[in-house]
Amino acid sequence: MNFRKNKSLFLFLLPGLILYSIFFIVPTINAVIYSFTDWDGLSPDFNVVGFDNYINIVTNDSIFLKAFVNNIKFMLFVLIFQTVFSLIFAMFLIKNTKTNIFLRALYFFPTILSSVSVAFIWTFIYDPSIGVLNTVLDSINLGFLKQSWLGNQDLAIFSVAVTQVWFHTGQMLIIFVAGLQAIPKDLYEVADMEGARKWDRFRFVTWPMIAPSATIVMAYTTIQSFKAFDLIFAMTRGGPNYSTEILATLIYSTAFRSFEFGYASAQSVIFMIVIALITVAQFRLLRASRVQE
Amino acid sequence: MKKWVCISTMALGTMLAGCVGGSGGGNESEEGGGGEGTISFIHWRGEDKAVFDELIAKFEEENPNIQVDMTIYPSEQYQSTAQTLLRDGSTGDVFTSFPGSQMEIINQAGLFEDLSGEEFLENYNDELITAGQIDDKQMAVPLQLVFNQPVYNAGLFEELGLEPADDWEGFLALCQELKDAGYTPIAFPGSDIGPGQFMNSMMMNNAPEEDIFERLMAGEAKLTDEWWVQTLSQFQELEERGFLNADSLGTNHTSAIAQLANEEAAMLASGSYAMAGVKEINPDIELGLLAPITTEAAEAEWEGINTTTFMLAVNANSEKKEAAKTFVEFLSDVDNASTYANETGQHVTVEDVEYESEELKSTSEWMDRNTRFQPRFLITNADIERAVIASIQSVVGGETPEAAAEEAQQIVDENLD
Repeated sequence: MNFRKNKSLFLFLLPGLILYSIFFIVPTINAVIYSFTDWDGLSPDFNVVGFDNYINIVTNDSIFLKAFVNNIKFMLFVLIFQTVFSLIFAMFLIKNTKTNIFLRALYFFPTILSSVSVAFIWTFIYDPSIGVLNTVLDSINLGFLKQSWLGNQDLAIFSVAVTQVWFHTGQMLIIFVAGLQAIPKDLYEVADMEGARKWDRFRFVTWPMIAPSATIVMAYTTIQSFKAFDLIFAMTRGGPNYSTEILATLIYSTAFRSFEFGYASAQSVIFMIVIALITVAQFRLLRASRVQE
Repeated sequence: MKKWVCISTMALGTMLAGCVGGSGGGNESEEGGGGEGTISFIHWRGEDKAVFDELIAKFEEENPNIQVDMTIYPSEQYQSTAQTLLRDGSTGDVFTSFPGSQMEIINQAGLFEDLSGEEFLENYNDELITAGQIDDKQMAVPLQLVFNQPVYNAGLFEELGLEPADDWEGFLALCQELKDAGYTPIAFPGSDIGPGQFMNSMMMNNAPEEDIFERLMAGEAKLTDEWWVQTLSQFQELEERGFLNADSLGTNHTSAIAQLANEEAAMLASGSYAMAGVKEINPDIELGLLAPITTEAAEAEWEGINTTTFMLAVNANSEKKEAAKTFVEFLSDVDNASTYANETGQHVTVEDVEYESEELKSTSEWMDRNTRFQPRFLITNADIERAVIASIQSVVGGETPEAAAEEAQQIVDENLD
């Protein structure tokens, strides 16, 4: 498009660009600037501290490391189970029958709930004394599996991850269904003629063809996992003993409980870089499995 | 750089103010100061809304030139956003503060108007309002007085012939008898407020010096020292002997309140503020307060824990300071404080208040006992406070006291550097 010839068309981009700049670009640039200061978020003055905040995070902040490790555990669990479940459900629900459409809507339903509501529902499910989960386990003679789902430090992060998977699987299912429905049927016919088994059909036809959808699902799931602040905050507040602390909850705590905005900004910048690196790595890995267009 | 900060802060403040809404139209008065106009009153106690509505109506009747616009925030949100809201002075002409780290932060930002010398201060118990003083200036007046120590089922104790113990061995024996009688000795809300509340009475005699956390933050005391390791060991003993409810780290305060109210548990490890909630579920239950004495009886210096909180303050950036002070004065009046105390089921720091409920009457004796200001609130660094609390969760979760103390001290050291 020629800019000189279509100046008026670019005017239509302006409102969006202005809003995007105000609410995303400027705060991001501000965060980077503050990350080099010791600003407490309240005082009009602050000192420029250079790379001190970054050096402190890397060399002298055991909670940041703990939160990062928790985040990786959380992300891997959610990434694997959310992707697998949503793909399996999508393959079962690919045809547009009335039942399938109803089931897709049903699975999608948790996505429209607010995360705080989801947190309350699952906190109740996990309650050690009156919770549904332990009660059901008791009633089917599996009482030995009863756990303090959110109180056990080794288990809590995975319990919250299960909630996250339940929360968003339906959303990813819809993306996979769209991807699966776009695969030309003649590819399967050719595979059948070649004597391909079910696994071969999936491996050599389905997976390469839905790789673009998988890329979106996995990238989105990864970013969601790193940003699962509201769910974790409402369910455990990062406890017990930091066992469910992730980077997002830690940054909130640093900024709004300790009032170290400069330090929290540095944590946020590292957080952004981590998400960007993981997402780029995922795109590259999944690009390899895509069919040549 | 300053420009950016100002613009960002104003934008953030505006957005937050917009988000939280409120019950009125803000400060529409055209006249600043002089005890007129609409003042904004912000606090975190949603459970007090009804009584404040009643008191505000009475205040507006007595002071027709002043209107009060009350906005209540959830306490977690209040702790994180109040400071930002107060900055430009249009919100929170009268505000409340928690003691401890929030008070420290608000003070550092210069948002407290000095109330020293105000006549209404004479209505308060001198001793109990010291928590609102900084550098000998009365920056805020704590209205509420709570006792942060276990609540117990006094009727059950009487039925079993038990009495609160005066030493650690006695406390363990008491717990054992309750356990043998089929009760959970202590309902411990370990997933939320439990560790931060129970730690106070558990450590009060292990480290009787009131400046212990001040020394910790100055690097002169350590969590790996005897006082804290012993406290953690005693938590471990309670857990290992089955005196805390099962899965206590997954238990929240609401659930723990229900355990005491339903008479499954004999004690609740939170504080006097939970009594109203327990009575709401079980109006017939008789309640009392006790504190575990973790030493020999003769070594114990303290009998319990108090917190003077809900600290009323006037915003230093307010344009309606006179009107704001008039409202604080109104709340400090003995009749109005009595209304507040009796309708909320809380003790207050105002003197000569007549308590009506049995619970308030029976626990009033604690006002004359040798109680200590809640140690946790003397940790003014939020990261260190979290580390201290986390070490309790760690021990209750199975870690050794030494390792938990070591891990927490590492975080303390990181924050001191």
